[in-house]
Amino acid sequence: MGTALHAEWTKLRTVAGPYWLVATAAVLTAGLSAATVAAVTCADTGCGLDAPRIALTGVQIGQAVVAVLAVMVVGDEYRTGMIRTTLAAVPSRVAVLAAKGVVVAGATLAAAVPGVLGAWLAGRLIMPGQGFTAAHGYAPLSLTDGPTLRAVAGSVLYLTLVALLSLGLAAAVRDAPTGVGVVLGVLYLAPILAAVVSDPDWERRLRQITPSTAGLSVQHTLDVASLPIGPWPGLGVLALWAAGALLLGGLLLRFRDA
Amino acid sequence: MEATIEVSDLRKTYGSTVALDGMTFTVTPGRVTAFVGPNGAGKSTTMRVVLGLDRVDAGTALIGGRPYRSLRTPLRHVGALLDASALHPARSGRDHLLWQAHSQGLGAPRVDEVLRLTGLADVGRRRAGGYSLGMRQRLGVAGALLGDPPVLMLDEPFNGLDPEGIRWMRGFLRALAAEGRAVLVSSHLMSELQDTAGHLVVVGRGKVVADTSVADLIAAASADRVTLRTIARTEAMTALAERGATVAVTDRDTLTVDGLPADQVVTVLSQASVPFSEISAHRATLEEAYMELTRDAVEFRATEVAG
Repeated sequence: MGTALHAEWTKLRTVAGPYWLVATAAVLTAGLSAATVAAVTCADTGCGLDAPRIALTGVQIGQAVVAVLAVMVVGDEYRTGMIRTTLAAVPSRVAVLAAKGVVVAGATLAAAVPGVLGAWLAGRLIMPGQGFTAAHGYAPLSLTDGPTLRAVAGSVLYLTLVALLSLGLAAAVRDAPTGVGVVLGVLYLAPILAAVVSDPDWERRLRQITPSTAGLSVQHTLDVASLPIGPWPGLGVLALWAAGALLLGGLLLRFRDA
Repeated sequence: MEATIEVSDLRKTYGSTVALDGMTFTVTPGRVTAFVGPNGAGKSTTMRVVLGLDRVDAGTALIGGRPYRSLRTPLRHVGALLDASALHPARSGRDHLLWQAHSQGLGAPRVDEVLRLTGLADVGRRRAGGYSLGMRQRLGVAGALLGDPPVLMLDEPFNGLDPEGIRWMRGFLRALAAEGRAVLVSSHLMSELQDTAGHLVVVGRGKVVADTSVADLIAAASADRVTLRTIARTEAMTALAERGATVAVTDRDTLTVDGLPADQVVTVLSQASVPFSEISAHRATLEEAYMELTRDAVEFRATEVAG
């Protein structure tokens, strides 16, 4: 496993693509957050806005970039045929997928930590000027505040789990464009489908099991008891999706011809 | 570990297409074994099965007595080149070898060593996407040598090589076999392996058609065949034909004589006072021997198609 991990790390760091994707994910996450907080104002006490959640909006775009990064780690090898060299060098499919999972998670953290902290910082600096003041019942965003810390740390974990979900799905479909399509469908289309369901019970149930909607519950800090699913259980649902996708990808990798 | 590849009764079908139909052969150390047959005969599939990449419906493939997937550092047991173009175009050739080295617990010094061995030391740090096919083949061979393995398996390594590259590859393969390694080289062009292969495994339609030593094969194909150089072509042909030999014109002043040993050819020509400038026992090329070997199979196939 150690040597497989070393090999995957060497692969990742010896092409330019991952560096660009990590930088793009971080910049887009912080940038969209900054743009969002600059556009939202709180006019009065009880405007009812969830300040940390607004500040972390950028995660919604950052997830697309980390998904692409994760899909490429597998998809590029199938596109070039290099997957056969990989599996000849490391015959254990479990070791290959685990090693890829570790480097994908590492690269995602390298994007998510600065991106999410940048988003938080943008909220902390810009929001007081937008009416999120003590007078309206808002303290500056602080990581010493439990729910805010949960939203920030949870967003980092959310992005990491999205990357692992993408890796598993990419291993299953073996093709980068298809993989990106499937992953973006799961992340962005599933919430829309849940939203158009008219039956409120079913809508609630779908929100509980949709990976992105459930996972992003972790960003909520207001009135969490009324959410379809709580912050940590919601992130747990995404973790189950990621585990399921990796299991599926791993089994197909093991039993299909390379 | 014994340096062998043992392939035993491999069977595999893709849907209704039979890819491997009882493929069986053994590659032994110290010589280059040519793995020859038309495209689609099952050569690449067999190699992928040996590397644990493709599953089979039945049969076993062993490296030094062990299945590939049980090897912990497989590149130290067998080095393989399947597809020279299977690399990330943006990664340098050196880095392409580096990740493979790291997967076996090897380091950069070994990478630089195999780059030197294959003549790529100067271009190792360039993007592999800019390599010619010949350079990619060399890079693939470098990768196969990383773990200094006792067994090598190369799929069509001559593809895309210029004449100088072909000469280099032949010498390189001979040297590797001379070091005691088992070397299996596939090719669909027999002539590429002239003076290189010591053993021949000919395949067609997923199974072995012939498994023979190249020396025996060439001797058999050369038997009782004489090359004759003469300015009196017609007289020579008449005299030899009268003695029951089969004579074929191969050049303006060259004849090939079948069915009469060289000393008798000399006697016949002297008695008939036919002048000649040179006479030699003909030595078949590997390609000729191969054609002879597969002629029956080809005829059978032609008849079958016609019928």
